[in-house]
Amino acid sequence: MSTMTLYVDRNSILHNTHPLTKLLYVMVSIAITYIIPEVTFVFTVAMITLILLILGKVFRKIVPILGLSIILIISIIIVQGFFHPENQTELFSLGFLTFYQEGLSYAALLTLRVMNMVMSFGILILTTRHDELVEALIKKGLSPKIGYVLLSVLQLIPQMRATMGKITDAQRSRGMETEGNLLVRMKAFFPLIGPVVLNSLNVTRERAIALEVRGFNANRQRSFLNVSKEYRYQKLVQILLWTALIAAIVWRIVTWGS
Amino acid sequence: MGIISVENLKYKYPDTDKLVLNDLSFDVEQGEYIGLIGKNTAGKSTLCFALAGLVPHFFNGAYGGKVLINELEVRQHEIGEISSHVGLVFENPFSQMTGSKYTVYEEIAFGLENMGLDRETMIHRIDESLELLDITGIQDKNPFDLSGGQMQRVAIASVIAMKPDILILDEPTSQLDPQGTDEVFKVIENLRKEGITIIMAEHKIDKMAGYADKILFMHDGKLIDYSSPGEVFSRDDLEDYGMTAPAVTRISKSLGIQNKQNGLYPVTLKELSREIGDTYELHRN
Amino acid sequence: MSKTSMWSFKLSTAAIALIPAAIGINYLGKLFAGLLKLPLWLDSIGTVLASMLAGPIIGALSGIINNIIYGITVDPISTVYAITSGAIGLIVGVMAYKGWLKNVKTAIVIGFVVGIAAAIISTPLNIIFWGGQTGNVWGDAFYAFLVSNNVPVWLASFGDSFVVDVPDKIASVIISYFIFKGLPKNFNTIFRSSDKIEQL
Repeated sequence: MSTMTLYVDRNSILHNTHPLTKLLYVMVSIAITYIIPEVTFVFTVAMITLILLILGKVFRKIVPILGLSIILIISIIIVQGFFHPENQTELFSLGFLTFYQEGLSYAALLTLRVMNMVMSFGILILTTRHDELVEALIKKGLSPKIGYVLLSVLQLIPQMRATMGKITDAQRSRGMETEGNLLVRMKAFFPLIGPVVLNSLNVTRERAIALEVRGFNANRQRSFLNVSKEYRYQKLVQILLWTALIAAIVWRIVTWGS
Repeated sequence: MGIISVENLKYKYPDTDKLVLNDLSFDVEQGEYIGLIGKNTAGKSTLCFALAGLVPHFFNGAYGGKVLINELEVRQHEIGEISSHVGLVFENPFSQMTGSKYTVYEEIAFGLENMGLDRETMIHRIDESLELLDITGIQDKNPFDLSGGQMQRVAIASVIAMKPDILILDEPTSQLDPQGTDEVFKVIENLRKEGITIIMAEHKIDKMAGYADKILFMHDGKLIDYSSPGEVFSRDDLEDYGMTAPAVTRISKSLGIQNKQNGLYPVTLKELSREIGDTYELHRN
Repeated sequence: MSKTSMWSFKLSTAAIALIPAAIGINYLGKLFAGLLKLPLWLDSIGTVLASMLAGPIIGALSGIINNIIYGITVDPISTVYAITSGAIGLIVGVMAYKGWLKNVKTAIVIGFVVGIAAAIISTPLNIIFWGGQTGNVWGDAFYAFLVSNNVPVWLASFGDSFVVDVPDKIASVIISYFIFKGLPKNFNTIFRSSDKIEQL
């Protein structure tokens, strides 16, 4: 059974970093690119993130994930390049459309931020096992029930996808139309989703019973079968990340208005 | 008083008018193996839920009477507390997997983590239950990659690891193929040797007849009979309740083969052959 | 249905177990919509159903966790909209509890309110994170049209979200409404967190 995961099992400096340190990196690196709206700065942060991905031996895995935001990026470049309200300086024209410098440099800033966001997420999700991340969060105070939800979704979705295949085949063999005009296709939606919903609610009820009898609702302090891995220098890295965040905020306040 | 004591238990699901459990009273002794039989609407599952505390705590509804487990009144305690005394396994093996664990080993640990046991105790108990359920070979597999019979044994192991005194099985083989069914019956026999009190609802009456100490026979929420398999299956009114006796009993009935001492019909092949043997002896002399 | 507070924080295990199912249904809705080439996302049906069944808290949690999970498994960008999804669950839950699930007409009202709310919440997110766009081709074309006609960025961005969200949310709520009404009655009771046990 496949689980929904982008985790890549390698041995790298990132794989040997505490999940919460990586989570902190994601938050800080995204936050500072929005706190300091300077293209060169954002570019530097994005480059650092990129280098980290290479060090984590997962660079090639980030490319298809970046590909998902390509429409957004193209849309940013075109729309801002043509239509940014502060557009003044003409850069070049394509037929009757004109690209402006203000719009394009704003688009560059936005694009770099988006790419940095996706790549820094990559640092966390490509090099961290889900269960390790969730257990780390539970130890930090996340409700074990929410932890359960996070982990079970990752296994349930591939199962539902398998169910979906079965249902689609079954309904098609009964002669359901999945092609045709919009109304026909709209009508086909119900026989497809209905059975899955009913089935999954049934499973939900039974699973809840199974969880109850295994003490899921007990108010006792939980323990863990898996021992947490030992990581070194985590405190130091985390302090550095917090410092970077504070420095960015201070910079923003100091340069306010100038 | 037995390990389980039920007094005048009554129950109605929310938004319904019918009593699903209608004034049940019975006792179960430590180490007994009780077979729970009856038609689909008899209330067997609801009784199983009531013994595990899910009725009334999970389903709500209207409740009357008393269920005592190890002298603990179910109505007054949370399911989490009752679950260390009573384990429950039901039909669908798939929905009994938590879905949040990636290996069988971790799956069994789920209940123990919720109990807050320390790591050594956990590992000891998991290894023990793997052994008992004969699933040590699959401990590193993903629970959802298993066959139905294997998955059901993992479900039982997960509950057994919590060391309940009582194990309740609600039709644990009804969704399994014959091989899976045999696997499950075999491990239940092992558990019985460990001295665990077992209550099992089951449609496969022939299998049940051979194993159970007593049969609890329900119909329409009421307790019809609670005695030895021989007595219950020798009743003349079984078919009025939509039940059929085991094949052995029906054959014996039509051939008129009865136990000389108590007049009951045999319920297992072993009993039957003993009776035939006796008859044969008689004829020879 | 017994009337306990919809804000009850003592979440039942059944309600917790409903969240993964809701997220799965969201995901399948999106897949089926894609399979049938429908011009809608239909990726919030599970969240909407969870809110109808178990109230605003579970609905909101389903929405938020849905986007976090989608973010860490498929597309990091969607994490930004966790707030929007959470609000969808919250609003449907409250309106369902207040009796707006009477018939199709009132369900359409829920869909409309949810669509507007989604657009209102998404607008500042879109402006902060990507200069006002959504990455949806039709919405962004509309945005470009508005901005080039000197409409302020925030209004254009709202228009962008509006044309995308409102039809989608109305359709999602109507579909969920029909599924909800079609469910067997005994499904609902276990998801409500009531402590009421009558004495017989």
